Amino acid sequence: MNASTLSAPRAWARPWLGYDERSALLFVLPFATVLFAVAVFPIVYSFYISLYSLRLTRPNRVPFVWFDNYANVLSDPQFWAAVERTVTFSVMAVVATAVLGLLIALLLNEEFPGRRVLSALLLIPWAIPSVANGLMWKWIYDSNYGALNGALFQLGFIDSYMVWLGDADKTLALIANAFVWKEVPLAAILLLVGLKAIPADLYAAAKVDGADALRRFFHVTLPALGPTFALVIVYETMIAIRHFDLFFLLTEGGPGDASHVVAWRIYVETFRNLSFGTGAAMSYILALATLALSYVVIRALGRRL
Amino acid sequence: MTATAVRLPTKGALARFARPALLTVASLLLLFYLLAPMAWLISSSIQSEREIVSKPPHWIAREPTIENFAAIFTSHERAVTYETRAGRDPASGGFIPSTAKNLLPSLGNSLIVACMVVLLNLLVGVPAAYAMAKIRFRGRQASIYGILATRVIPDIALVVPFFLFIRNLGLLDTLTSLIVTYLAITVPFSVFILINYFESLPDELDKAARVDGCSRWQTMTKVFLPLAAPSLVAVILFAFLASWNEFLLALMFTQTPKSQTLPIIIASFTSDFTISFSFINAAGVLAVLPPVILALVFERYIVSGLTAGAVKG
Repeated sequence: MNASTLSAPRAWARPWLGYDERSALLFVLPFATVLFAVAVFPIVYSFYISLYSLRLTRPNRVPFVWFDNYANVLSDPQFWAAVERTVTFSVMAVVATAVLGLLIALLLNEEFPGRRVLSALLLIPWAIPSVANGLMWKWIYDSNYGALNGALFQLGFIDSYMVWLGDADKTLALIANAFVWKEVPLAAILLLVGLKAIPADLYAAAKVDGADALRRFFHVTLPALGPTFALVIVYETMIAIRHFDLFFLLTEGGPGDASHVVAWRIYVETFRNLSFGTGAAMSYILALATLALSYVVIRALGRRL
Repeated sequence: MTATAVRLPTKGALARFARPALLTVASLLLLFYLLAPMAWLISSSIQSEREIVSKPPHWIAREPTIENFAAIFTSHERAVTYETRAGRDPASGGFIPSTAKNLLPSLGNSLIVACMVVLLNLLVGVPAAYAMAKIRFRGRQASIYGILATRVIPDIALVVPFFLFIRNLGLLDTLTSLIVTYLAITVPFSVFILINYFESLPDELDKAARVDGCSRWQTMTKVFLPLAAPSLVAVILFAFLASWNEFLLALMFTQTPKSQTLPIIIASFTSDFTISFSFINAAGVLAVLPPVILALVFERYIVSGLTAGAVKG
């Protein structure tokens, strides 16, 4: 065919691309293009933007400002207040998701009639749009006609209808509750897979050693679930830290600043104040924080992940 | 030893009653937790404006009405003005907002976007996954790491560059902008599921087809695709649901009903205090129905896809 096939079959003397490599390249090319155009490029571009003072209110003057955007963001006490709220929200949301997810997984790990139906219904919150979830909880929390007020009133826990989302002390917890409802199915499904993967011998051995159900749970089940727990916590933390939809739908950062979290701040800074440089810098900080955090959690909880 | 021998029977007797009782209580609690919010959404979507403001609420509609749904599907025939709405004129649907006519087109937009994203996911994802699972080539491992890396990037970090990119291409307020960006956020996961599946199929299949003179393309389409049906179902479901549910990017890129999707229109209702919640809830039911039906029908595929994606991811 050509010279290279005739010469000695040394590795470097092969035709540059064999048939397999050429077809692999063609097969992967569309995917690689998409990935590059909409993942790699934006990451780099976003960093580039974050070094400029880009304001859409002043489109003709875009000075290069080095790391000023980062410095401004990091020295802004309002940013740190938003960080604090994000941390509060995420801790509440992730802990509740993990605990509730574990309880559901333990239940569905048992054999009983109706288990199949329950596992199917478990997917409902996972599947619905977050907008529908937000709308649903906004209506449940409604201070005039909502279900929460109605139920608590009828059960006699409250004497008169209360303001829920409008109460700055409760807002974050209520939003976290709506978040947990939608996220708990995934956590439960993953933990259930983890539970099923624990070898039955371990339980048998523990029984022989005289461990009761509670001991078996704490000494066999929980340690064996470690890596799955790490996965669930990392994943849910990543989702919670950047969560935006419920804040937009339920409170728009309010009342006052009570639910003004970092994700909401990025939105306001970028699309309401039209300050794209600052917005890009803030999202970069958020992305790096997410990465660092997942690394720490994986190291701490799931040594073999 | 004797102690355990004495305790065992009582424990067993207790367990015989306690276990079913505990399981029943726990199942009912879970059932309530999962379904109560949805039931409330549905119940209030079939209540009239008069009924929905009752205190305490009517948990089950006493005079169920399909007025809200009728308004969504026939809204183009109604002339809703400030006067008819303020007068709660039943002919115009009482508290039905004039923007109700945007619901059906947005439903169409959501469907078009979701179907296009599914189609492109298959076209782009299947060959890439097949190549990465079955063909040995330089850079194969690097591409797999590349996919993993994209899965930890928060979407909100992509919003600013995406927006400027789309704006500079003149694609703001088009369905194309949504299709392209949704493809970007869904295709890594699709490829991931498919790689896992293709890798579980024996290499001998690949070799046999090649020896019989199939090209790479034929091997993929004639041998592997028919076998990959379960993972294809999972890919289709995930891409469809992700596109149908997406909110943040649609909020940035769309501006008029020409390209707005269902979540955007619904979100615009929730911030309008003049709109009855019974009407908004009807719109919510409309948005919830397709994903819920898909989830219940294809439960097995979704669960296996989720676990495959997570266990290796």
